[in-house]
Amino acid sequence: MTETVTGAAPARRPGRRLIDLAIEYNFILIFLVVVAIAATLSPNFLTATNIANLFQQAAVVGVVAIGMTFVILTGNIDLSVGSVVALCGMLAAVLLADGMPIMPAIAITILAGAIAGATIGLISALAEVPSFIVSLAGLVSFRGITYLMTDGVPVSGLPQGFGAISSTMVPVLPGLQISSMGLIFIVLCIAAGALLRLTVFGESVYATGGNAEASRLSGLPTTRILVMVFTVSGIMSALAGILLTSRLRIGQPTAAQGLELDAIAAVVLGGTSLFGGRGGVLGTFFAVMLLQVLRNIFNLLGLGSFYQMTVTGLIIVAAILLNRFIDIRRGRA
Amino acid sequence: MADLLTIENLSKRFPPNIVALEQATVSVRKGEVHCLLGANGAGKSTFLKLIAGALSPSGGEICIEGHKVNFRAPVEAAAAGISMIYQELDLVPQLTVAENLFLGHPPSRFGFLDKRARRTRAVEALARVGANFSPDDRVGSLSIANQQLTAIARSLTRDAKVIIMDEPSAALNETELEAVFRVIRELTAQDVAILYVSHRLGELREIGDRVTVLRGGRTIETFDVDGTPDSALVEAILGRDRAFVERRERPPVTGEVVLSVERLKGPQGLDIRGFELRRGEIAGLTGLNGSGRTSFLRSLFGAQQCEAEMILHGRSYAPGTPRDAIRAGLGLVPESRKTEGLILDAPIYRNATLPTMQGRFWARHGDLKARTEPVLKQLSTKYGAPEQKVIQLSGGNQQKVVLAKWIIKGADLLLLDEPSRGLDIGAKADLYRLVSELAANGAAVIVASSELEELYAACDTIWVFHEGRNIARFDPATTDQDTILKHQILGEHHHD
Repeated sequence: MTETVTGAAPARRPGRRLIDLAIEYNFILIFLVVVAIAATLSPNFLTATNIANLFQQAAVVGVVAIGMTFVILTGNIDLSVGSVVALCGMLAAVLLADGMPIMPAIAITILAGAIAGATIGLISALAEVPSFIVSLAGLVSFRGITYLMTDGVPVSGLPQGFGAISSTMVPVLPGLQISSMGLIFIVLCIAAGALLRLTVFGESVYATGGNAEASRLSGLPTTRILVMVFTVSGIMSALAGILLTSRLRIGQPTAAQGLELDAIAAVVLGGTSLFGGRGGVLGTFFAVMLLQVLRNIFNLLGLGSFYQMTVTGLIIVAAILLNRFIDIRRGRA
Repeated sequence: MADLLTIENLSKRFPPNIVALEQATVSVRKGEVHCLLGANGAGKSTFLKLIAGALSPSGGEICIEGHKVNFRAPVEAAAAGISMIYQELDLVPQLTVAENLFLGHPPSRFGFLDKRARRTRAVEALARVGANFSPDDRVGSLSIANQQLTAIARSLTRDAKVIIMDEPSAALNETELEAVFRVIRELTAQDVAILYVSHRLGELREIGDRVTVLRGGRTIETFDVDGTPDSALVEAILGRDRAFVERRERPPVTGEVVLSVERLKGPQGLDIRGFELRRGEIAGLTGLNGSGRTSFLRSLFGAQQCEAEMILHGRSYAPGTPRDAIRAGLGLVPESRKTEGLILDAPIYRNATLPTMQGRFWARHGDLKARTEPVLKQLSTKYGAPEQKVIQLSGGNQQKVVLAKWIIKGADLLLLDEPSRGLDIGAKADLYRLVSELAANGAAVIVASSELEELYAACDTIWVFHEGRNIARFDPATTDQDTILKHQILGEHHHD
């Protein structure tokens, strides 16, 4: 062979490698910078209570964003998640208010979320319709079903033990306790990361997103994989719905409106490509926390949500331009 | 008759040192159908693109009615009366016929779109091509033949003097083609000249007045179609002084029949009968573009729908999906390595083990790398580390990763579709050496290629495909290349 091999990976200078890592994981650097700024601006930021708060508040959108990461890694999108969160949150509330014990109610709710996700995946994969439009239909219909369940009336009178799912304080470090829902978010992140990186299913998700035709011609069950990522997204939305209802102590049919956009913003901000095949849960975790820190610091400084929204949008655009710039520099554009 | 378009010593070089066209000279008369004929790589596409202003020449001149022109963009060529109809028609399927006809030059009044004038002129143009559809029809709802007519009508709305048609027959059936021919005859009666490109000698006999043969980037000769025998044309296409290709010595194929295709019918007239492959055999598929090579391989691999009676290893075989084919021991190296063969952004070892890892739960990256590395070494692949992204490898090494996929999987029937495309000579030789080793170890291989020379040097059997059929089978040890090429062009039947 007369050709040369370019860009051989090993035997690079350690300095160069460090820079590569910094570029690859730039979202962590951005996160740390924002945390540093927040800590300087407000003395209340780096306190144990505030950190616990951060995780508590990030948990619902964070859990949804984990599921969204799977979907986006295959190059698809799931707009129905906000409605599925509300649907499952209400379903759990209705079942519990009817006197069903906690564990079966949770099991049924998770199953309902899985079915909702699988349906969207099935329609999109089998009919070869873009998931954007199928899940948009899901967004509307699932919200409708949510209202139909109680005719739009919130459900209260949930058992005492159900609230414990989200708000039990768990010591994680000396002097730092975080609520159980924050911990559930972290544990789910680790589990999802392991699923994506260590299993054949995870590999297949990346492969399908990277090149669906090549994957099909390599014998991957691409239809099944698509249905499965949407099912994962549905299950995650159900879990988020359960956490939300548990925290609010009430089933609220108007809950989680627009949550899908927060989740998508977090996934993309975390470096997962909308075209699929690149990214991961680590980035999603840091992006969810970054967005939460922004919200938090504005609250601590007493600035209204109008500033908050404006700056959040700017930061998302800046981060995405940065990633685009890195892509172009690497010759991937 | 007067010369409408004269092209003298037209040349095109691509840096650093590729000569695509060298001193091409052609003159096209008013009202004639002038055909262009040549093998793959003879320079036809480059020639057409230069005339249509899609490329700019490195030397030579183009004159229209005696005036020298110098096109910098296709728009300028169109304004000068040269209209190109591409093989994959450049119409917008969502728009109506009338909208397509005046795309880029809509009639206007006071700066507003004049829909009335557009419709009237569209009706006129459609009448000239004898169209039986309305200017209000959506182009996407028309048959390919009617889209072809729309494209011709569009040339007329631009007052084209010369219409270039690049293999219009490729997507048409005989009746549809007849309709297009009728339009061509009417246009030439109105002094429009047609520059017609086709591989098929039969068509040329039917529609052409004169024919210019290109070979190796040069115009060889212009013939009058009447009075020139096929043999003279074929000789001009092939040339006499071609380099003799050394055939690699191959042991005789003695293995049992692995695959036997009784009958296989697929889309676009694919109709294969009596195809057989033995253990240890390398069968080459040759044929012009659109002859069904790729379609046949994809059908065997379950990647496209077909109706077939096939026997594989003594059992009836009907793959519904690529998964079925892979389970039956097949492996496909697809035509386009980048869009169908590889996940460019993923590491080498993950690409190479994609078919193998299915059916397990844990990916076990260590194990996958361990299975990849010896095979890459066996294929003498040049790479840094198994974690390296495939996109960083050269074309030849990328192709080895695709091949490694099937070696790791243990496939014993390999389908290679244009495996050498984009590879340099060294990489090609390397690839065919590997294929021959695989066959010696008991694999059966089918290689489809547009480069007959490669097949000639590497295969035990060569099948000629023509318009979706396997019309001839040759033993390259006892047949010379020219005989095979003649069958390729003329579509004559033969079985060794």
